[in-house]
Amino acid sequence: MKIVFTPDWFLTSDVLIDVFSFVILILLFSLAFKSYKLNKNKSSLFLGAGFFLMAFAELATIITKLPLYYNTSITTQIGTAAINYNFIGTVDIFYYFGFFFSRLLFLLGLYIIYKIPYDKKITKDFLIILYLIFVTSLLSHSLYYFHYLTALIFIASIIDNYRKTYQKTKLKTTKILVLGFSVMALSQIVFLFSKFAYIYAIAQTIQLASYVILLMLIVKIIKDGKKEKPGGDNPRYA
Amino acid sequence: MLRIMQEKGGRIRKTHLMYKANLSHKQMTSYLEELEKNGLVEHIQEKDKNLIRITNKGREFFVQYAQMREFEKTFGL
Repeated sequence: MKIVFTPDWFLTSDVLIDVFSFVILILLFSLAFKSYKLNKNKSSLFLGAGFFLMAFAELATIITKLPLYYNTSITTQIGTAAINYNFIGTVDIFYYFGFFFSRLLFLLGLYIIYKIPYDKKITKDFLIILYLIFVTSLLSHSLYYFHYLTALIFIASIIDNYRKTYQKTKLKTTKILVLGFSVMALSQIVFLFSKFAYIYAIAQTIQLASYVILLMLIVKIIKDGKKEKPGGDNPRYA
Repeated sequence: MLRIMQEKGGRIRKTHLMYKANLSHKQMTSYLEELEKNGLVEHIQEKDKNLIRITNKGREFFVQYAQMREFEKTFGL
């Protein structure tokens, strides 16, 4: 069974996109955590936890992909050992677990971002959802599109939440947030067809665009905060 | 209170602060003690006036607070 669909010419870019995504998710986590430390707002803590899980998912992907793509000496040794000692199953298990955790954490992070910041508590449904996410992540090993389809459903629900928030606040930053997640949703749609190598590359590039938009959002939030001038004419703080 | 001080150029009279923040004298004194203890504001004497001034740490805190408020509003928290 093919483990990844990345074309050879896209290997470096693929890992770099994952590293970039990881950094952006960690930045969003740190903003949410800072917000929790200042206001003790539990919603911020849960939102931060969602981004943290997604960041960890990216890290799991990077850790799994690096030896797979680059470390030829280790790969050769593993290959030789596999031939000599017939433990090819062990190598499979490394990649299997790596990508399994990546999918599990990514979906769990998305679910937390969608649900918990507004409920402010973990309900009993959470266990059921956790089980379903677990099963989806298991199934996605053989039916890869299961993961992208589930992620797409979660992202669509997140977009709906933020669209409602935008209707109330009319904030430019929320608009950017909706745009960022919409592009991420588009990437998941393209990922559904990623069995074709070049489509995988296109999907990854679209995902990169979504994280670039989220980076722009972070920069705008920080800039707008600094703009809170001594005149204090920002009506939102009146 | 920090915002009001910022609006007034970083320094303000106690009585003005009390009215602007809509606080009782007791409440304001208690909050000011807390802010002073954390190094966010300080008492100064200027032309025979007792003023309260926001410190650099207070300004930094205020910027951070504004950023976090922006973040929360963006995400609708």
